[in-house]
Amino acid sequence: MTLNPKDTAVSADLLTVQGLSIAYGPTAVVHDVAFSVAKGESLALIGESGSGKSTIAKAILRLLPHSEATATGRVALNGRDVLTLPEKQFRPLRGRELGFIPQDPASALNPVRTIGAQAHEAAALLGETDPAVRRAKILDMLEQVGLPDPLRVYDSYPHQLSGGMLQRVLIALTVLPRPSLIVADEPTSALDVTVQKLILDMLTDLRRELDISLLLITHDLAIAAERADSLVVLKDGAVQESGASRDVFASPATDYARSLQADVPALHPDRYRSQRVPFKGAHDGDSRTRAGASPTAGFQIDVRGVTKRFPAGGKDVLACDGVSFSVERGRTHALVGESGSGKTTAVRLLLGLEQPDGGDIEVAGQSTSGRSRADVREIRRHLQLVYQNPFTSLDPTWRVGRLVREPLDQFGVGTKAERAQSVREALEAVGLPSDVASRRAAHLSGGQRQRVAIARALVVRPDVVVLDEPTSALDVSVQAGILELLSKLQRELGLTYLFVSHDLALVRQVADTVSVLRRGQVVEDGPVEEIFHRPQHPYTRALLEAIPLATVPAGDQASKQLAKATA
Amino acid sequence: MTSDYKRFALTRAGQAIVVVLLAYVLTFLVISVLPGDAITNTLRDPQHGLSEEDIQRIVAFYGLDQPVIVQLLLSLGRFLTGELGFSLQSNLPVSQIVGDALPSTLTLATSALLIAIVFAVVIAYGAQYLPGRWAAIVRSIPSFFLSVPNFVIGLVLIELFAFRLHSFTTTDPNSAAATLFAAITLAIPVSAPLAEVLIAGLDHESRQEYALVARSRGLTEAKLFAKHLVKPSALPSVAMVALIVGELLGGSVITETIFGRDGIGTVVQKAVTGEDQPVLQAVVSLSAVVFVAVNLVADLASPLLDPRVKLRESKLREKVGP
Repeated sequence: MTLNPKDTAVSADLLTVQGLSIAYGPTAVVHDVAFSVAKGESLALIGESGSGKSTIAKAILRLLPHSEATATGRVALNGRDVLTLPEKQFRPLRGRELGFIPQDPASALNPVRTIGAQAHEAAALLGETDPAVRRAKILDMLEQVGLPDPLRVYDSYPHQLSGGMLQRVLIALTVLPRPSLIVADEPTSALDVTVQKLILDMLTDLRRELDISLLLITHDLAIAAERADSLVVLKDGAVQESGASRDVFASPATDYARSLQADVPALHPDRYRSQRVPFKGAHDGDSRTRAGASPTAGFQIDVRGVTKRFPAGGKDVLACDGVSFSVERGRTHALVGESGSGKTTAVRLLLGLEQPDGGDIEVAGQSTSGRSRADVREIRRHLQLVYQNPFTSLDPTWRVGRLVREPLDQFGVGTKAERAQSVREALEAVGLPSDVASRRAAHLSGGQRQRVAIARALVVRPDVVVLDEPTSALDVSVQAGILELLSKLQRELGLTYLFVSHDLALVRQVADTVSVLRRGQVVEDGPVEEIFHRPQHPYTRALLEAIPLATVPAGDQASKQLAKATA
Repeated sequence: MTSDYKRFALTRAGQAIVVVLLAYVLTFLVISVLPGDAITNTLRDPQHGLSEEDIQRIVAFYGLDQPVIVQLLLSLGRFLTGELGFSLQSNLPVSQIVGDALPSTLTLATSALLIAIVFAVVIAYGAQYLPGRWAAIVRSIPSFFLSVPNFVIGLVLIELFAFRLHSFTTTDPNSAAATLFAAITLAIPVSAPLAEVLIAGLDHESRQEYALVARSRGLTEAKLFAKHLVKPSALPSVAMVALIVGELLGGSVITETIFGRDGIGTVVQKAVTGEDQPVLQAVVSLSAVVFVAVNLVADLASPLLDPRVKLRESKLREKVGP
């Protein structure tokens, strides 16, 4: 035996990262990171925003702005040190050895060039000079990634395709030159959950077929555990824990990894349930399709047969087609569906931002449709909205105190001193220290901003709060804090929530009842547990199956939890 | 796309015609309220030697004894048929005066525009790809170009290239060399706003994720610039053509004077001092036509250059779903 097993393992590694540290100017963001990816294997770098995972990916790809960032250590690809290689010798590796799938497919293709024109750049890496042959290979690849009409895609501009199609295009362009390693930076976080599953399945198949290694960057432990052979957990630019996915996931060794695991919604469906008043299936047994039922006393929101159409491309699109749902006081109802399912339109109708073409909407017993602006304004005092993205919904130049006070000023509530008192109380209620009031929104973290947004909604003492994907822009661990806060506020203030989301695992944690929307229609509704355990509609089943971690090997405690969660 | 584009193009062309007509009317009214009476000042000037009969004929032709509104309608009617009238100073047809001066000015303005584009692209490329300190210097060029008056540039170029280096002679202002330096004089201030827009566009586009992705595909910086970045960065400058044409028209008057060229600038100068109403009216209207035509071309080109430009205001302002 001349080689010990360790040496063989090292020589089989395609990518070896040793002692990698990265600094932006004097600020170190990555400290002494080490991991390796074997040929054909997949490894996930997981961590929250600011953990340095994307920076590491860019360093490996040599895409860091060299004027600002300095990387030290060793990043070896097939034994060659990527960091010290002159650009001339590294460039031939780009695309051919090292592929890159970026985060946001909508901005990853040049908006003023056709897909075909950009695909030729990737095809050129194969060394093929005949444009006709390249074109054939491109079309072939586009078909292979599951695009239904490759010719049309080839001639399209990026804005003419959906996010899922664009991500397929990007995967096709990355795979086309047959790289040995693909670095995928949050490849599906901008996509709907069902599309995410399809894309990840397709990528997994392609990798197997072509023996391509994968370095997956993600904030989602569930996706990492499901899709990667091994995991590296990062926090503040340093490795917390690493090992085989199954081991790290089943028995996390560090507190940080444990908390990440605990924050995965799919694993802990009852996490917030204990904090809430138990829900006894409010409707009768056959309430699953409640459309058209008579209004019952105690409904804070009652939407009956609402229809809304928009003209688009010469014909009308039904954004809401006879949508009905109702929410009891102090309960949480979820609207679930993918992009284009009509959930945003339903919310806009509820808020009186659009008028329905048919049907009736009542909030706290008052109709919102067909009334004057002043009436709608009054209804809005009882009906507040928390937006999806706290990074864009708050004016970054305003101080928090003014942001929270604005609705009071708008409605002319109380004296100046009373308003200041209300603002203090609202900030306290959302768990923010009082000195935050004098800070500007731009200086707060995402979680703090969303708390400000919630305080702003609560300050006028509404009965109903519409939560439009309130955590989709936040990290998983921050999301848990916000959901906890929302549950607490609901219990203390008796709030009624309408929770809009595409994430069924999350909905299961927070909602009592749910309506599943598809193309403007409610395909299924009822109590959350029932929908989860006995989904009737194939679309609901598809949504449920798309929750990551539906298929992790069983045999330990986490998997049992998992099996329960996804049963 | 095509039927939408046709409708869009026809609407824009219609709007352009309306703008030209309004410009014509406005010019006419402004000239007519200017102090001074064309008849007494020009026609009855004994130096002109016009007979009373000639004067009567001219007065009748322009309706000078009629109210302004009638004069306007007469003049507008002739304009629509392409008839520009006669100069009050020289009795030559206005179309001939303008037609003689136009080629020289067009040559100057067109070559200035081309030179300005070359300057702007070179400056923007340098600002993007030169190493740190040099890039900073190159970035300050546009504001320097913008702050030096046109006539100073012209005088410096003449002093340097005509008198010291003898690259051209000022006695033959229409020679190719003299035209080149006149065009450079005109191009320098015009290139500044173009370069600034290009620099800002390149800064923006090179930070976009698609630039990163293209780089990851092994494109060299030069290829990335040429194939990916130039077009989207240049799109905003297409809209700037309006400003540039204004600058070219205004600047050419000064440049022609400095370099002693005969062009539209000289015609305007003579017409203003001589209160030659028909010539002034024709030149201003011509400028309006050029201005509007260039803008029309820019408008019509932008949907062809940028596939994202929507031709019809969609009523579906809110997206269905998030």
